[in-house]
Amino acid sequence: MSEQEIAERIAKFPGADVEVLRKGQIAVKVPAEKGHDAAAYLKKMGFAHLVAVEYVDWIKENEFELVYNLFSYKMKMRAFLKVRIPRDKPEYITFMDLWPIAMTHEREAHEMMGIVFRKNPNLTPFILEDWKNLPPMRKDFDSRKYVKDKYDSIPFAEGGEQ
Amino acid sequence: MVDDEKIVSEDMGVQVEKNENMEMRSFGTVKRWATKRSLWMVHYCTGCGGIELAPLMTSRYDMERFGMHPMVTPRQSDVLLITGYVNIKTLKRIIRTYEQMPDPKYVIAFGSCPINGGPYWDSYATINHLDKYIPIDLYIAGCMPRPQSIVRAFEDLMDMIQDGTADGYMRYKKYYEPYKANQEKIFRKWW
Ligand code: SF4
Repeated sequence: MSEQEIAERIAKFPGADVEVLRKGQIAVKVPAEKGHDAAAYLKKMGFAHLVAVEYVDWIKENEFELVYNLFSYKMKMRAFLKVRIPRDKPEYITFMDLWPIAMTHEREAHEMMGIVFRKNPNLTPFILEDWKNLPPMRKDFDSRKYVKDKYDSIPFAEGGEQ
Repeated sequence: MVDDEKIVSEDMGVQVEKNENMEMRSFGTVKRWATKRSLWMVHYCTGCGGIELAPLMTSRYDMERFGMHPMVTPRQSDVLLITGYVNIKTLKRIIRTYEQMPDPKYVIAFGSCPINGGPYWDSYATINHLDKYIPIDLYIAGCMPRPQSIVRAFEDLMDMIQDGTADGYMRYKKYYEPYKANQEKIFRKWW
């Protein structure tokens, strides 16, 4: 099946905005409240593997975008399911019932972007050590200032403060 | 026993005491000569640099011809080699490893990341100056240095041990409080 045919099949899902990006890659945008149904629909179509949950900070539009990166071994094709959630209330529903591995991906998105996934029981600290700041992947997190305050100074051997 | 503290370099602000006892002095020289020819190394491969250790230890560059050998436990080793960027999580382990090593102990920092952060200088996760948290005897510049530079660094370290300028472990004792303060500044909890 070609990308176009698959895109047409996906477009039957109500509210889906489908676009063929390039060979083997299809982007599917749906409103946030239909995200879970769309994911179930795609899974049934053959996109059985959840590769990653990505997150984008659209700070000017005051929105977070979640990109569910799905792969189908049968069709050798990728689908990017995209939903947008408001930045001031970063909350979404977990996809753990469809793909249990979503638990870990969502845990990462929670730590790096501060997005809360309802019904995910495991949103505990993950990779970061001793973190008490803004989630570091947010665009309003000032990495240079943080580094300057926390790590920067001249070593003792070069005459820095003792 | 000869007092190692007396062989502190002058730029540390510690006066080099003249040991009148010639016998003891020559004993110290022999002891340092023996130390430098039998270094056991524990390597903490944090960043990209660990890959350079394989040719170094095997037949191509053959570190054993310097009397050096990797050691599995810090409690029995003399040299701590830190190969690459250090983040907060690994820094805790490095400090723990360093403090377990018996005196005299030497630290070689490998690559530009421990010197000033390297390409990760503005990353929230990695520290910039390793020298603020533990004393470093020798840096190897480069991103990443080739095994030749590590061999050169070992030779330099041996010279420094012989003339007593590899004094990092004494600095750690002398400036223990500020080192600890720096460490505690970036750790919320130790483990
Ligand atoms: S100095 Fe370069 S090679 Fe070494 S850890 Fe840093 S980035 Fe990697």
